[in-house]
Amino acid sequence: MSVSANDNAAKVSVRGFLAKYSVLIAFAAIVIFFSVASPTFLTPANLFNVLVNNVVMLAIVALGLTIVISSGGIDLSVGVSVDMASMVFVMLLAAGYSGVVGVAGGLGAALIVGILNAILITRLNISPFLATLGVLFIGQSTQQLATSGGQPIYLTSGYAADQFNAIARTALLGVPTPVIVLIVLAVAVHLLLHRSVFGRYVQAMGAQPGVAWYSGIRVPRELSMVHVLCALLAGVTGILLSATVKSYVPLSGNAFLLDAIGATFIGTTLSRERKPSVIGTLLGVLLLAIVKNGLLLVGWNFYWQQVGIGVLVFLVLAASFGLRRAAH
Amino acid sequence: MSATVLHTEVGVSDEKQAAAKSAGRRFGALVVRLGAIAAFAAIMAYFVIFAPGFTSTFNLINVVEQSAILGVLAYGMTAVIIGGGSDVTEGGIDLSIAANMGLCAAVYATLLSMGYGDLLSVLAAIAVGMAVGALNALAVVGLGILPLLATLAVLNVAAGMELTLTQNTVVGASSPLLGVLVSGSFLGVSALAWALIVFSAIMIVVVHGTSFGLRLYAVGGHPEAARAAGLSVPFYVSFTYVLSGFCAAVASILTVSRLSASTPGSGELLLSVLAAALLGTVFSRRFVPTMGGTLLSVLFIGLLANGFQLLNVSSYWVNGVQGALILLVVAITSFARGSEGSR
Amino acid sequence: MQTAKHDIAVSMTGISKRFGPVRALENANLEIARGSILGLVGQNGAGKSTIIKVLAGIIKPDSGSIVINGETASTLTPASVEKLGVHFIHQDRLLVPTATVGEAVFLGHEIGLGPFVSRRAMERRAADLLKRFFGMELPAGTLVKDLTTAQQKVVQITRALAQKASVLVLDEPTAALVKREVDSLFDVLRRLRDDGIAVVFISHYMQEIEKLCDRVTVMRNGTDVGTVDPRQTPIDEIISMMIARDVGEMFPKRSVILGTPVLEVSNLRLGGSFENIGFNVRAGEIVGLTGLLGSGAKEIVQCLFGLKTADGGEVKVEGRELSLSTPVKAVRDGIAMLPEDRRAHGVALGLSVRENISLASLRRYSRAGMVSRGAENQAVDSLIKELSIKTPHRDALVRELSGGNQQKVAIAKWLSCQSRVYVLDEPTVAVDVGAKVEIYNLLNRLAGEGAAILLLSSDLLELVGVCDRVLVVYRGRLAGSFSGPAMNSDALLAASSGARSNADGVAA
Repeated sequence: MSVSANDNAAKVSVRGFLAKYSVLIAFAAIVIFFSVASPTFLTPANLFNVLVNNVVMLAIVALGLTIVISSGGIDLSVGVSVDMASMVFVMLLAAGYSGVVGVAGGLGAALIVGILNAILITRLNISPFLATLGVLFIGQSTQQLATSGGQPIYLTSGYAADQFNAIARTALLGVPTPVIVLIVLAVAVHLLLHRSVFGRYVQAMGAQPGVAWYSGIRVPRELSMVHVLCALLAGVTGILLSATVKSYVPLSGNAFLLDAIGATFIGTTLSRERKPSVIGTLLGVLLLAIVKNGLLLVGWNFYWQQVGIGVLVFLVLAASFGLRRAAH
Repeated sequence: MSATVLHTEVGVSDEKQAAAKSAGRRFGALVVRLGAIAAFAAIMAYFVIFAPGFTSTFNLINVVEQSAILGVLAYGMTAVIIGGGSDVTEGGIDLSIAANMGLCAAVYATLLSMGYGDLLSVLAAIAVGMAVGALNALAVVGLGILPLLATLAVLNVAAGMELTLTQNTVVGASSPLLGVLVSGSFLGVSALAWALIVFSAIMIVVVHGTSFGLRLYAVGGHPEAARAAGLSVPFYVSFTYVLSGFCAAVASILTVSRLSASTPGSGELLLSVLAAALLGTVFSRRFVPTMGGTLLSVLFIGLLANGFQLLNVSSYWVNGVQGALILLVVAITSFARGSEGSR
Repeated sequence: MQTAKHDIAVSMTGISKRFGPVRALENANLEIARGSILGLVGQNGAGKSTIIKVLAGIIKPDSGSIVINGETASTLTPASVEKLGVHFIHQDRLLVPTATVGEAVFLGHEIGLGPFVSRRAMERRAADLLKRFFGMELPAGTLVKDLTTAQQKVVQITRALAQKASVLVLDEPTAALVKREVDSLFDVLRRLRDDGIAVVFISHYMQEIEKLCDRVTVMRNGTDVGTVDPRQTPIDEIISMMIARDVGEMFPKRSVILGTPVLEVSNLRLGGSFENIGFNVRAGEIVGLTGLLGSGAKEIVQCLFGLKTADGGEVKVEGRELSLSTPVKAVRDGIAMLPEDRRAHGVALGLSVRENISLASLRRYSRAGMVSRGAENQAVDSLIKELSIKTPHRDALVRELSGGNQQKVAIAKWLSCQSRVYVLDEPTVAVDVGAKVEIYNLLNRLAGEGAAILLLSSDLLELVGVCDRVLVVYRGRLAGSFSGPAMNSDALLAASSGARSNADGVAA
């Protein structure tokens, strides 16, 4: 009797362990697999490439989504924030304005998207999913109208443009500038979400909005802040994106949405309560980036990569949710 | 132990109040519903008056044809939302439905172009669509993954497989069945329009006329209550995802017939499908998704695009207006609910 | 009460069930006879709901046998139990909110032809049943969510009756009903009994048990400690079977030294709910507030915490006038609120004990917007100790705590805020006796430290036992203020039902 109980307990804890560390185990397995399968995978040059091209921009968007998802909401319009920042930034630079004006304008455009979301959610009581879905539609329409149906805008030359492109491509003490931007933002969001009063309020709203309200927390104000921050972070990605490729391609921001949501939720499997965390999100982004890169190196084309990513996300989710359910 | 606890002695004022409150709520809901419908009607009236040829039979049939694909997909989505509950983060949703249609279309067109017959190709497309649906069902029901996440992952898988199959190219297709769908007509109504009409009729009867449909609503509306009534919640939820996959397959055949090919980019339909299923709730007295409501909003979205076209308004407005309408409808709905003062 | 063998509808013998180390049921027996109403009583945690869940097929027992209508049931599932004619009216209203009354009554047993349903037939039948059993004229096309709580309960019972139940188990069916509905429910149950149906009635209200039941089975510590005839057994005796302690000990006594008024309310009004409400609560005083559902007592409390905005009147805390428009302001002005719905408003189950306790006072432990973990941990640890909150660790999730301990966490949240005024809304609902006593002790201590306490409760014994003074609200007005010997449950009941008003001379 007692033996079988112990046995059961052991089984449960093994399952709990697997559920908790499924991401880390998957991560390790994948790194080992690709290191064996492709000789170039573990080279510094390749890792550098992964970091700069696949990680930074997605990670910054995902940081914003981490805040929103922590608060119990979702932001489907992050792509619009990326695009709007990118569009205004490129338009301003193309019109000959300085880089500072360009960045301010870009972030301002993202800010407007964030404020719009905040108003819809906190003032009009629309659920975050529907509010940001509506903004997504409107944002896409706006871009199409502003670019006569989606014509890209290229930054041909100009001092500011080249300057930015150069910054985006240089490194400081061997660390690429975009990576430094990411590290600074990640540390800031980590402190904000996990160490600050604001972060605690966000967690409370995510866990039980009624309790937050009954505890005297200004829920509408904090929630507005959440959505503004998310939009601003997406705006940073928008500016980095257009500085890197020296252009604005309409509707390109949407590509980040699914990956960022996926990364954030992969990250939630790290915590017992499936709460999003900055570290988890970064791991999720890294996992997605490494798989994409690894699949490329072993000769899978872009199309198969998407299948691979989908299967991977599915398996991680299945492991996390399924094992947890079995453990209960 | 609490031996003496108050029970309302008379309870008249209480009951009256409750009755008044409930009447007020019903009135508020009615106002919202009529308001939204009036807004739709106003837009239609504007088109009728100002858009040349808007009311011509040819144009209207054209709209119905154009709406067929969106409609069939939206029915799948509606079924999933009914069975999974309409809570937007925890409830039922199938983000993979449009990508699934793309995959089915690719399978269908590829098989046809390889020389296989209609029957086999159609069956294969339907098998693929339902398999993707079954995968969603497994993830949501079997593994307990949030529908939003599970179907997001499956979206990626389906979209990737479509790309792999077609190498991101247009796969031309022709067959007797496609020929009938393209040029066939009956009673002056084209085959594509008939497809929507028949499919709509089946869906409306099944979901609103049978005990199966009634139970489906119960499962989505209050799973605990459904379980207590002896219903198998997992069965019904699984069914909706498989049905959604089936709808994707049917829509894929319609889209191949319309374009005489399978083309990349079907994933873009997802937002319109969601919009149609969500907007449809406003047509229901209970504010739940209904097949009839979905049909109306699909036609409305179709007419909106068509009206803009006839008025020479850029089609780029259509998305924005759709988005604004969703926000409007949902804001008014939440306002009507919020005015009960329950915070 | 003698029952011949063939009169037994359900016989459960030797049922045991463990959850990990916890013994939920230990050799428990339950016998339900046809044509009689069996009361089932016991404290929370005594095993009432577990044994009912075993019968419902929701929980599988570790051992024991169950015989239903003469057949030994080996494995029970919710569906198979229903097929055997055993129906349950659960405490939660298990109805689909967006269904019509007709649909809700016949869900799973729809009326129609083949796969097709006839909503009109279902609505007509449902309306017939409602009229026949309850004399209730309810348009059966109404949506469940538009019904009152009581009406929903009635619909649920109708649902079981429509399916020709032979055994009907009702779990706390009267909790949300008004008196008239309780009476008509009892009439229905008696009629069903006379028709030969076996009825099990679970209730906390002893006078209902006395009034309705033919026999009552008392449970304690996971087993049945006896079955008696409630008409021949005094209530006190039944209660002492339920608890091993004397009832008198429940309300700890204290000596009071009242200070100056801390909370002063004058002329407060809210359209449609109450008007001309004025009272004071002094430092160290525990003032009770009670009234029937819909009397306005609840709304007064909500206005004091800014959950509803009063249309007029004055609220002062320590002489300072407040504008109470949101809880944010109320908290800032030193008002603490223990809400009735603990899970929705009191504690966040998914957060840790630490995060819950410090939530309302986070600014105290923070510098420049960043939380200082050291200061927070210290404060939280001392509160856990002070209130003897039983938690494995300060970082344990509140979900893992018992109801009483969750409530203590909700109180601790405000202690760390050092609030001056405590407003408690039914703080002991769904809390077991032991934890109740601890909560009463805590209130006494808070009062002793000079806080002003306003306790909204519909448990009259609790009010009499704990409060220095009790205010009764009737139809939106203060109908009386009772203290000293005049404060007894008869007087409170009379005042809250409008039969009598005024004891201490409150202008009403």
